[in-house]
Amino acid sequence: MKKGALIFAHNNRDVDYALMSLISGGLAKKHLGIPVTLVTDETTLAWMKQSNIHQRSTEVFENIITVEKPVTENQRRLWDGVELNKVVPFANANRASAYDITPYDRTLLLDSDFLIFSNRLNEFWDSEEDVLIADSMNDIYGPSRVGYHDKYISDTGIHMFWATTVMFTKNEYSREFFNLVNFVRSNYQYYGDLFRFNTQQYRNDIAFSIAKHIMNGFETDRTTALPALLTTIDKDILHSVDSNGKLTFLVSPMFDSNMCAAAIKNTDVHVMNKQSLIRNADALLELI
Amino acid sequence: MNFGYLIVVSTSTEVDYTQLAYALALSIKNTQKPGYDKVALVIDDPHQISRFNSAWVFDHVIPWDKEIHWDGRSWMDQLSPFDETVCLDADMLFLRDYSHWVDYFVENSELYVANKAYTYRGEPVTSDEYRRTFTKNDLPDLYSMYTFFKKDSELAKEFFTLGRYILKNPKEFSNLFLSVSKPKVVGTDEAFALSAKLLDITDEIAYELEFPRLVHMKPMIQNWPWPADSVSDHVGFYLNKKGQLKIGNYQQSDIVHYVEKDKINTEMINILEEIAWKK
Repeated sequence: MKKGALIFAHNNRDVDYALMSLISGGLAKKHLGIPVTLVTDETTLAWMKQSNIHQRSTEVFENIITVEKPVTENQRRLWDGVELNKVVPFANANRASAYDITPYDRTLLLDSDFLIFSNRLNEFWDSEEDVLIADSMNDIYGPSRVGYHDKYISDTGIHMFWATTVMFTKNEYSREFFNLVNFVRSNYQYYGDLFRFNTQQYRNDIAFSIAKHIMNGFETDRTTALPALLTTIDKDILHSVDSNGKLTFLVSPMFDSNMCAAAIKNTDVHVMNKQSLIRNADALLELI
Repeated sequence: MNFGYLIVVSTSTEVDYTQLAYALALSIKNTQKPGYDKVALVIDDPHQISRFNSAWVFDHVIPWDKEIHWDGRSWMDQLSPFDETVCLDADMLFLRDYSHWVDYFVENSELYVANKAYTYRGEPVTSDEYRRTFTKNDLPDLYSMYTFFKKDSELAKEFFTLGRYILKNPKEFSNLFLSVSKPKVVGTDEAFALSAKLLDITDEIAYELEFPRLVHMKPMIQNWPWPADSVSDHVGFYLNKKGQLKIGNYQQSDIVHYVEKDKINTEMINILEEIAWKK
């Protein structure tokens, strides 16, 4: 059975997802010992060539697959620490196509802002579960910063799984699962009414959570999931990365300008502040 | 094995408890396998059941009017016609076969009182919103709505006898043992919990188990981010023609203690009856 990771990258004017994918893919390849495939679009590929990361990308990625860039009306507020923010477009609507695109029999689907520094996810390749999704997020500061809607998709709704990491086997069950994710995405307003979540922004986490809930007979099963994601939110800042792989963050406990420092090493981490991740790209690329 | 479920109701001007017991008995007949589906109803006015289309779901109808409302349940050991009994609250519904739980209790227990409850999302209830008396007075967290006992058990006899005595003397026991946070009413749950504590038998009758799984639909314990007056203000209650129940987006497969008595209406009864007739 061929296993590997898959990462999607569709750049916008403000975020270089291709560069983030190179880092994320390189770390996954190094620490999990698996091949990695990049899914991107022509304009992002052109930028990769222009920004001189294409050569490195061909070394890191086993395949670079180009698809049409998904049309999006999705926008998100991009924070870089607590003070800087802007609203940017967000092309995330083609994640459900992972099933059709992946060249692997068992695939680890990763967000480009998830950095792998351990081999923990290797435990799950032989799981009998066809589709596994990260159970939840663990905030680097602690539970006090985990909001209700980080745990549930709505006030009265279902448990939120985090589609930052998804592992699936290419089989009939997974095909149905991804078809359902796509169906939820296509009928997002309807599912928003049914599951009572805010439909302002399409979220893969929500679509994947609903698909998992439905496929599980409208019950939540948290016993079969990928590990919770250690997460630094976008109001935190990745301050520095040293050559030994230690990542130092400035963490904002109260979401204001009072920061404290936190450092991690040998631990997988979800870095939601993309700008600070990119600022540390050179140091991170040294680690792959 | 002579096992059965016991439901104790009395006439009320506000709630038709007999109809709730009828719905529960129908749901038991619809879901439990033979030998585990017997139901006995203890009722102050047995004539009430003649209005039901399928009164046969009550295998035993026991006239009894010594207590009103929930206090009657404390006499369960003396009222049950079965050797092994699970006494239930009337406002509950069975949704799948739970007979393997009964097998365990018959094999391993003389007396077992439920001590965990779950939200409609399947999460353990952690809030003590309705149970401050329990937490503040360090009472075991017992839920009398599912109580298993054996008729010949001395332990059960002692437990229920003291429970009844507490219910008959609520002020005295409150002043002595529940002084940190006195309940407005000493109900069956409080009486059972205090009885277990005073007899020091909590570890014997309420030890850690993964079952019985009881979904408790009181609104303030649903892990919602805001206070709620009633569950049905916020999530729907949908029973389909197969007798499958969804609450909100969640399929229910555990015993549901729905609390809101108006959930059982004619439409619900009709669905449950039709399933019973076709079985």
